[in-house]
This record gives sequence, C-alpha cells and structure tokens, in this order.
Amino acid sequence: MAASDIAIVATAQFPSVRRSIYSEVQLLIPTVSAALEAIGVDRSAIGFTCAGSCDYLTGGPFAFVTNLEATRAWPPIAESHVEMDGAWALYEAWVRLQHGDIDLALVMGSGKSSPSRPAEVWPQQLDPYYLAPLGLDPVSYAGLQARALLESGKATERDFAEVVARSRRSAQGNLNAQVRGDVDVDALLAEPYYASPLRKHDLPPISDGAAAVVLARGDRARDLVERPAWIRGLDHRIDPHQPGMRDLTTSASTTLAARKAGYDGGPLDAAEISAIFSPQELILAESLGLPDGTVINPSGGPLCANPIMSTGLVRIIEAADRIMSGDASRTLAHATNGQGLQHNLVCLLEGA
Amino acid sequence: MSPEPDREPMSDLVSLTYVEELTPNLERFADALLTGHLVGEQCPTCSRIYVPGKGYCPMDVTLTSEADEVEVKDTGFISGYTIITPVQYYGQKETEPFVLASIALDGADNTLVQQSIVGVPHDAVHNGLRVQARWRPQHERNVEGISNRGGTGLDGVIFGFQPTGEPDEPAAKCRERLF
Amino acid sequence: MPQRCAVIGVGQTQHKKIRSDVSIVGLVREAAQRALDDAECTWSDIDALVIGKAPDAFEGIVQPELFLADALGAAGKPMLRVHTAGSVGGSTFIVASHLIESGIHERVLAVAWEKQSEGNAQWGLSGGRSGGSGAGGTFAPWMRAYIEDSGAPEHIGWMVATKDRLNALKNPYAHLKLADISIEKVKDSPLLWDPIRFLESCPSSDGAGAAVLTNEAGTRKSSKPPAWVTATAVRSELGVFPGRDPVRVQAGVDCAHDVYRQAGIANPRDEIDVAELYVPFSWYEPMWLEGHDIAGPGEGWRMVESGTTAIGGAFPVNPSGGVLSSNPIGASGLLRFIEAAQQVRGQAGDHQVDGARTALAQAYGGAAQYFAMGIFRDRKD
Repeated sequence: MAASDIAIVATAQFPSVRRSIYSEVQLLIPTVSAALEAIGVDRSAIGFTCAGSCDYLTGGPFAFVTNLEATRAWPPIAESHVEMDGAWALYEAWVRLQHGDIDLALVMGSGKSSPSRPAEVWPQQLDPYYLAPLGLDPVSYAGLQARALLESGKATERDFAEVVARSRRSAQGNLNAQVRGDVDVDALLAEPYYASPLRKHDLPPISDGAAAVVLARGDRARDLVERPAWIRGLDHRIDPHQPGMRDLTTSASTTLAARKAGYDGGPLDAAEISAIFSPQELILAESLGLPDGTVINPSGGPLCANPIMSTGLVRIIEAADRIMSGDASRTLAHATNGQGLQHNLVCLLEGA
Repeated sequence: MSPEPDREPMSDLVSLTYVEELTPNLERFADALLTGHLVGEQCPTCSRIYVPGKGYCPMDVTLTSEADEVEVKDTGFISGYTIITPVQYYGQKETEPFVLASIALDGADNTLVQQSIVGVPHDAVHNGLRVQARWRPQHERNVEGISNRGGTGLDGVIFGFQPTGEPDEPAAKCRERLF
Repeated sequence: MPQRCAVIGVGQTQHKKIRSDVSIVGLVREAAQRALDDAECTWSDIDALVIGKAPDAFEGIVQPELFLADALGAAGKPMLRVHTAGSVGGSTFIVASHLIESGIHERVLAVAWEKQSEGNAQWGLSGGRSGGSGAGGTFAPWMRAYIEDSGAPEHIGWMVATKDRLNALKNPYAHLKLADISIEKVKDSPLLWDPIRFLESCPSSDGAGAAVLTNEAGTRKSSKPPAWVTATAVRSELGVFPGRDPVRVQAGVDCAHDVYRQAGIANPRDEIDVAELYVPFSWYEPMWLEGHDIAGPGEGWRMVESGTTAIGGAFPVNPSGGVLSSNPIGASGLLRFIEAAQQVRGQAGDHQVDGARTALAQAYGGAAQYFAMGIFRDRKD
C-alpha cells in the first residue's frame, strides 16, 4: 500500500511551562482529549496507541505505566511505548497503520524536566563505561559541538544569537511556547558565556509538557478533516555514539533520513527542526539541505519550549498544523534523540 | 574460550535528585492525613470514589478537583495479601518477613495497595479480615511516604491497619477488590 | 497487502547470574552475532534495528541503546527502542515484524537484553524504596486467588518449577542447571512471597536474545527453514481500577483471541503444538493456560498435574526451561518468541518437541497488564 496514505488529522499540545503542578498523566489527559475532540472521535475508536516518554524524567522505573491512564485503557487496547521522543512513537504508529487493518492511531509524547537536574540525568545517557563517568553534562557536550562548528568556519557566534532572536520573536505568536520576546542580537552577544561558547540563551528552557497526535489512514483521513497533513515521507537514522567517531559539525544521519524520507532539498513553506541548542540549527539546516530563506521554526522551536520526549512530536505538530489550517502546502519536521544530534528523524508533510 | 579469572565489578553509585511538589490531589490527601482523615475524589461521571484522588477518573478520563473531594472512613477489609521475606537491595531497611496487604476501604471503589497490617500475627492474616487504621499520634505524623510516583506509603501517619474484631467479609467480596 | 514475515536466524547468550566475562556490549553482541550467523548474513545485511529492555533504572543508564548503536552496527540505520515492562521482549519482536510486514525494510534485527548484575533489578522492582513488594510480592496475592478459585492442590506450583528446571537441563543457554531438582526440594525451599517459595521463582540473570526477521523473498536466501510469523498481537489494560480481575486478565484473553483469529485457530489446545509462556513464578503456568483459553476455568492446573505440559506431553509448555530457568528481564519475552520459532524450525536441539509445527509465544509485563503474543508456523499459511 502507499505509505503516503497516512495523515495527521488532529493535534494538541499542553502549553510548556517551567514547572507544572500536574503530573505527567494529568498533562496528557486533557491533551489527548483535546486532540480527539477536535475530530469528534472517542478513545474507543482508536485502533492503536503509541506513547513516548522517559522513565528517568519522571524519576522511577516503570514510570511510563501511569501514562496509560490517559488512554482509558479499559476495555483493553492495542498499544505500545517507546523510551524515546513521541516523534518515534508516531513513527511506530505510522508503521502499524500500514498493515491496513485499522484506520486510526493515537500518538502521545510527554515529559516533565522540572523535578530533575539535567546536568545529573543526561550524563547517564552516555556510554556507561567510557563517557558517563566523566560527568559530561549535556550543555558541555553541546558546547563542544558549538566550538567545533565555530572552528570549522561554518558559523559565528553572531549566527547563534540570530537564531535565538528570530526564534523568540516567532514564539510571540505561539501560545504553547514558554519563552518569547523581542531581543536584540548585540544585546545577546553582550551576555556572558554560560558554557563557552554557549550563552544561557543558546540553551533550551527547562520545560514540562505533553503533546498528542491522531493519525488516520486513507479515506478516513479525508472524512475527518478538510485538509489532512499527509505524511509523504518518514525516516530516521542513528549516528555513532562516541563523539570522537563523528563530525559534530554536520549531521550525517539527518542528511540520510531526509533523503530516505524523500526530501529533495526543494522549497518548503516551513521547517520545524529540533535544534535544542542554537548552533544545532545551523548544522541541521545545512544537513537537511534547506534552501536559503526557508522559514525555520515559526513556532519558536525548542529554544522557546523544550518539553523533552515531546519536543520532536511538537515539531511534527507545528509542521502539520500549518498544513491543516491551509497556511502551508509542504512542510518538514525534524526530531532528535540522544546528545549532539546522534539520532535524527525527518518527516515530510504535504497538503495534497 | 579459556577460563577467565572471576572479575569483581566496580560499583558506581548513580545518585539523581528529584524535587517536586505533590500534585493538588495528593497535596489534599497528605494534608488530610496529617489531621487523621482519609480523603479522596468522586468522579462526577461515574460516581466512583478513589482514595487518594488522582485528579481524574481513569475509567472515564474525567478530570476531578477539590470540588469532587469526599472523606471516607478509615475502615475496610483485607482483599489480598502476601508475606514478604525481604531481599537485601540498596536502600532496603526491612530485615524480617513483613506483610503487604491490599485494603478495600469501605467508602472507596479502588483498593489501597501495599499496606502494613498490625496487631495480628502473620499466620493469622487472611482475606476478609476487617480492619481499621491505627493512627500515629498527631505530632508524630509525617507524609514523606506520599509521592507523585505512585507512593501511597501511609507508614508516616499510621502504624498500619489492625483488626476490628468484626466478622470477616465473604470471599467473593474480597475477590472483586483484589488489587 | 502486508508482506509476510519470517524468522531466519536467532541467537541468545549463555544466561548466567553474573556474566563477568563480558560488558553490556559483549553481551548483546554475543546474541546478535549468533543470530546473524544463524541467518547466514552479516551486520551490513541488516536494514534496521529494534532494541528492547526493561526499565533503564535497573542498570542506571538512560536509553542504553544509544551507546550500543556502535556495537550493533547501527550507524546509518534506523533504531527503535521499545519499552513495555516485562512484555518488552515480545513487543520488540512484534515492532520488528511490523517493519517487515509494512514493506519498509527487508531484514530487521531485534535485540533484547538485561545485564542485571550491573544494576539493581530488585531495587528497581521495589519502586526504589525500602519494603517494596517486588514482582513476586505483587503477584503472590493473585496466585493465591487462583489457587482458591480453582481449588488446585498445593503441589501444582512445585510441579511446574520442577518441570521447567528439568527442561532447562536440555537447554545449553539456560541459567539454572539444577540437576537435582525435585518436587520435594521445591516444597522445602524457603518462602519468599507467601505462598510462593524460593525454588518456585525466577532467577536474576544476565542475558540477551536476538532474532533476524525478513520477508518472503528473504527466506529464499536462507538455507535453513524459516519460522513463519502467522500472527502477532499486543493488548494493554489499566493496571489498577475498581473491579479489575488481575488473575484472569482481560487483556490477556483479548490478546490470545486476536492471535488465534489471525492464525485461524479455533481450538488452541489441539491446534498449537508447543507454547513458550512467560512464567516467572510457578503458578503462572496454569494461570496463563486458563488466561489464554487453552484450558477451561479450573482446568489449567489439571493440565499440569496430568503431565500434559511436560516436554513429552500433549501440550508442552516451556520446553526451554522458560523464565523460571533464565530471567534477564528485558530479554525474557524475546526468548519466548525465539524458542517458539526454533521449535517450528526444528532447531531446538535437545529440547525440541517432536513434530512441532505451530508454536505460541507469550510475554507479559507490568501489573500483568501488558501482553505480547505471537504464533509461529513451519509453513507460510
């Protein structure tokens, strides 16, 4: 069957905040409900559900189990879970829908970063024998990548600041964003380093959030909404883990995923990319082959809201929303997993 | 492959700190515990009562709030139990066999799991046994065992649940509230 | 039309309490390399990887598949990490099978593992707190309920524990090799989670399993018989809710009926030749026999008592020795699928069930709320 037979027909986000008083499942319930209500579908109509989350964010083994309560899994449902961003849960649901026996899938992504310290948790994501004991925290890792980028001559610190300024300005129109405002590039550059060459504003905010997407197949998609966001291509690739084993100034797996997803470098109405740290936007734009002048992260991107484990899913949502509203006919979304852009997913969406 | 000498693994203790406020529903539950009361929430859609309240009803995914708060008595019966011989893992403080029981509170539809039973020898613990909470003196109560991560450890406020002396509940009633 | 999926290679490690001879990398490569060798292919023939394991808190690493990418030849390939608690090994296999059936990939490597000696699974299973119930403590009241519901005599659990460890003696990969196991020994072992005794409980193991899945065209490139994936299904239900029956779990019933329907099986007891079921505590054998409608209510324990589920019986269960003999938690579900596949390929060696042509694999997890099941056949239809 045609893989292009599957579309995003509904989306919802819980606005990102620095610290939510609600638990992860309490964020998910109204988010899932909102997505389903947008198309008048009940949970019982969903054929397959897939969720993305990370136990270490919630702070306990089996933490993901509670999130099942957002799906009203009684009577029993067919569902699965990935210890990854919801963008990969969407990938699994997209694969499942291609079997042809079900029409609707629900995707969730959620995470609260507020209870933990990123500098404590994320070093544990690195090789436990050789890297984690060094205590390499994610900001330092990103700093190493940024330094390599500067020394390659491919970007300047001013480029980083421009990404930040543009992102925050764009986020002014986004109710789901956490950080927004009008900032001057020179004022940004005057700020002290946080972890050279990164300044505090080059880092993403710490966020709590959740997001949900409904996928539909073929005619069901056409019946549910006027302008489904068709998934024309979806692929993901991983790079070597050891930072010394790859060129941190480029993202080979992103380039490959984009090609496999069928993105040919042509014009896009918007690209929502998971540049978690500002220098990564420059790396990704080049690796994706985005034409100059492409509108990047009109939502503000991860620099304005970083609900880890749904950041990537939110990029897909933002890219899809613009198609469903009629504002765009071709958009691209990118998600990342691991540090320094180790693992990357590209989703190409079209309106017709 | 030639026999290798036994290797002793190196220990690397990973210590992560999590700090968060209790969700509103658990905050209310914890406050009430300190005053010696059990509160939960009643779902406006199906009328089921959950103790502690979850902030939603999982059967309907209806959100619940303080407006849905109800108090329940601290009485009920054992609907399931086991006697655990403790394994010594990191942080384990138990050294002697202990009982963990599911308590079906009279006023709630859900079951309080992993509760302590006091005032009865292990071999007398059985399903159907009617019990009541034995509260710690007010000034000694703490709610450190209450956590967003599914911990409804009431050990900080009660010694456990103790027999009331009433006749046992029938087996069928226990079976439907096993977990 | 979906593509057909088949297993053309499997591999597993020597499961042991402590594999001090390998790091995590060595552990997963041992299983993966064996699967590749069995499939007569190399790392570069693999198009995509699906990795599964139990909660990462068990080993203190966040998303360990990220660092394992290098060791598993994953660079430049898609990699998914599945996490569905104890059923994960099964759902890992099922996600991999979807990648084949959808036509997206031609050869997928599924790997599941746990190196429990490099972590603290007991701590993890106890919610990271003192006085936790662990898995056994959670399931013990439900096993007690089954015993009471069914009127089963107390020796049934001991029989299952003995049978599985005797089977394990025929499985070179199995962790527990209790040559002197007997019903008496099980009965006399200390109580762990009343009413469950030490020898009725699974061990804690280091281990990994791997499988190479391919499509119909891919089976023609292999010189060995494939195990055709005839049916797969997953079901989940809320773990805690008013009125829940955690003994005869509806999600388990529904999951079983889904795979039976897909496979055109009307009478599972007659039409399935062998089953690898996730039995970490002895009583779960009769409980799953009934919970998947292989036996009628109260009949599961009779199948045990009559020797029906012994390796030479009419419905052998866990000829590999099962989870009771090897339990690297994240891998155990995949090991059930691998062992079932080996049975219909005729490659199960000393624990081969003669004439096995249709095999059932099952894994469960969480508060007995997640189920992953599959049916393998030695033929495409």
